[in-house]
Amino acid sequence: MINEYADEHKKMRALAGRIYDLDKRVYEEIGSNLGRVFTGDRDRTIDNIIKMFADTKESHILRSDLALISNMARSIRNKKVHKAVMTEYDEIVKTIDKLKLNSDKVEIIDKYIAGLNTLVMKKRFLEGQHLIICISRSYGSGGDDIGFGVSDNLEIDYYDAEIFKTVLKRLEAEKDGLIDASQMKISSASKLAKKNPGLARDEHFSLKEKISKLNRYHGLSIRDAVFFNQSELLCDMARKQDFVVMGRCADVILTNNCIPHISIFITAPLMQRVQRIMELNHVDKKTALRQVREVDRAHASYYKYYTGRRWGQAGNYDLSVNSASYGIKGSVDFILNVLKVNGIEKS
Amino acid sequence: MVPIWLSIPFVGLLLSIALFPLINSKFWDHNQKYVVCFWFVMVSCMLFYVFGLKSAGRVVLDSIVNDYLTFIVMLFGLYCVAGNISFEGDLAGSPRVNVFLLAVGTILSSCIGTTGSSMLMVRPIIKMNSWRKRKNHIMIFFIFLVSNIGGCLTPIGDPPLLMGFMRGVPFFWSLGLWKMLLLNMVVLLTIFRFIDKRAYRKDIAEGRRPDISKAGTEIKFVGLHNLIFLIMIVVAVILSGTLPNMKEFQDASGKVLGVTLPFDVVLSYPSIIEILIILLAAFLSFKTTDKEVRRSNHFTWGAIKEVAVLFIGIFVTMQPTLMLLNEFGPKLGLTEPFQMFWVTGCLSSFLDNTPTYLVFLTTAGSLGFTHGIVTSLGVLPKTMLIAISAGAVFMGANTYIGNAPNFMVKAISDENGIRMPSFFGYMKWSLCILIPVFLLDTLVFFVI
Repeated sequence: MINEYADEHKKMRALAGRIYDLDKRVYEEIGSNLGRVFTGDRDRTIDNIIKMFADTKESHILRSDLALISNMARSIRNKKVHKAVMTEYDEIVKTIDKLKLNSDKVEIIDKYIAGLNTLVMKKRFLEGQHLIICISRSYGSGGDDIGFGVSDNLEIDYYDAEIFKTVLKRLEAEKDGLIDASQMKISSASKLAKKNPGLARDEHFSLKEKISKLNRYHGLSIRDAVFFNQSELLCDMARKQDFVVMGRCADVILTNNCIPHISIFITAPLMQRVQRIMELNHVDKKTALRQVREVDRAHASYYKYYTGRRWGQAGNYDLSVNSASYGIKGSVDFILNVLKVNGIEKS
Repeated sequence: MVPIWLSIPFVGLLLSIALFPLINSKFWDHNQKYVVCFWFVMVSCMLFYVFGLKSAGRVVLDSIVNDYLTFIVMLFGLYCVAGNISFEGDLAGSPRVNVFLLAVGTILSSCIGTTGSSMLMVRPIIKMNSWRKRKNHIMIFFIFLVSNIGGCLTPIGDPPLLMGFMRGVPFFWSLGLWKMLLLNMVVLLTIFRFIDKRAYRKDIAEGRRPDISKAGTEIKFVGLHNLIFLIMIVVAVILSGTLPNMKEFQDASGKVLGVTLPFDVVLSYPSIIEILIILLAAFLSFKTTDKEVRRSNHFTWGAIKEVAVLFIGIFVTMQPTLMLLNEFGPKLGLTEPFQMFWVTGCLSSFLDNTPTYLVFLTTAGSLGFTHGIVTSLGVLPKTMLIAISAGAVFMGANTYIGNAPNFMVKAISDENGIRMPSFFGYMKWSLCILIPVFLLDTLVFFVI
């Protein structure tokens, strides 16, 4: 038993080391202006990554970090290096899958409904436009995993809230030349909301920081300023590259800026989602129900505030998917099939 | 006895201002000077018909020289000086920033007058909110608070209070209106924040966003030396109120000395001094400020021209109505503060609030009170004086023509891409928002 644990730990340490080295290599190859994902010293960073492996609640942060590395890796121009780095990235992702660390191992499929579905959709996209997929999801529906799966299969960048936050912070740090990005990452991870891991992790600022933020954000509230920054960044990115973006009202932002995109809403029946959250967060049914409702409410309120629209209303999206009908992998395939029917495939 | 039908030109002019922009705005834009001229000639003829040439000439010339001239020169001076102060900054117009600016502007009104504060604050507020689509409510609340209500704390704030000071009301007495001002500010700013937040969210939902790409907020005022000229104008206004009481400016019978014009109209020396100081301030402001500042402020003569044209008509056609007020005001039987508050206020909404204030100050002074503030017009209980002062100052916000800066703010806003409501459209706002607030004032300060 002790030997088994030691073996497992050894594997995790090796894997964490590979992730650290991959990040280092990517950074050295491109010298990205976004900086490195893991900027601490090697041993401490590996310890932190192992902690993320151990805690399912933090595993999505690790996935986000990996996605950030892959996003940067895709911009490597040297084909040979690009291939080597992407191969290493794929292997790391596969190894993580084998270790059963990710939340996508907790299924949501309802096999009966799954058997009834067929796929019909007409072609809609024009040529020469960047493929941007905006995914909104209800809590516990597996939307994050589906979004990640779609981006991974299409080999396009994946952005979620954590990545956006980090990107913005780093842009800020570059502007100011003051903030240490690695410290922020550690602090962000350490401030994981304990009560409800699904809720956005609001950062608390001291009075001095608040005044400084007021100055930085031109008198706007931090939330509004971040939204405006995200909107700007999103529009800039959308003109340059293909990507999958999770939440952030991206569908409406892009619509308002006349940028073509596909908007998808992923949800599942409440009890199915509650069941999944119970397993993911190791909580009882009552707590899971509360968490699901809280997160959904927060999403709806955020969406309503910045878009004036009702979150989750099928009419607002190109495609609404009941992930319980297909499961996570099935939903990924479903979306990919829809795209394929419309002539959009891995480039 | 002044026939009531003499007020027809005044009503006609008000209806023209209210209806023409709605019926045919193009016609109004091109022909408003002729419309004003029509009502001007009409009232002159009617006055001539009723009172004869000498009296009619006196009424018309007196209103032009002693009321309109000082009014428009002051407005012109403040327009020029404020137009030479440019705000360069990237503070984004959001509900919290707007509430802060309106609060600052409101307090500033008591320090440099409602017109001075309005002219100084209007462009920065327009600039900060330029990224937004829904913003006319900001300017409406600006008129409510900065252009009117904020002027209640000192005699510098609003001309009626300066008239009161000239008649013996202590200079700092009006500071006692702070509770009323505070209540109105809190209520109005709360309503404003609610409305502005809704509008702000709609703007964001449409994809509008301010340019906050630069790190850090830069706020820079160019042409700040013009504050000296602004102070010059404020001093000139104060002098126009204080000099007439000095013996050096009075003859043996106590009449204020001045230049005698046709129809025995006298342009007093204090008024001439005021006009000269203001024109000098405006001249120096133009000479010492770079053209670029005015360019960045989108400074044009359009707004002041529009106000100058409309208000000469308003000042002249208003005279018969003021005569009626002088005749019937004291006979209205007003004895309670809340009556004074509403009657002074309602009349100040349409007439010049300075003569309206004086009519009711005189009326209250003649009621024979023995306790209260001692003025040259008699003793007035504190609540009575508060009611008259607040009515005259606050309710000027009820219409575009209620107070000098109202129309100015409207004109500048219209020139800078903000579609302001029509005359009646604005009154809808004041009826729905201001009147309930004034009812609350009545309950809190004059009834309970």
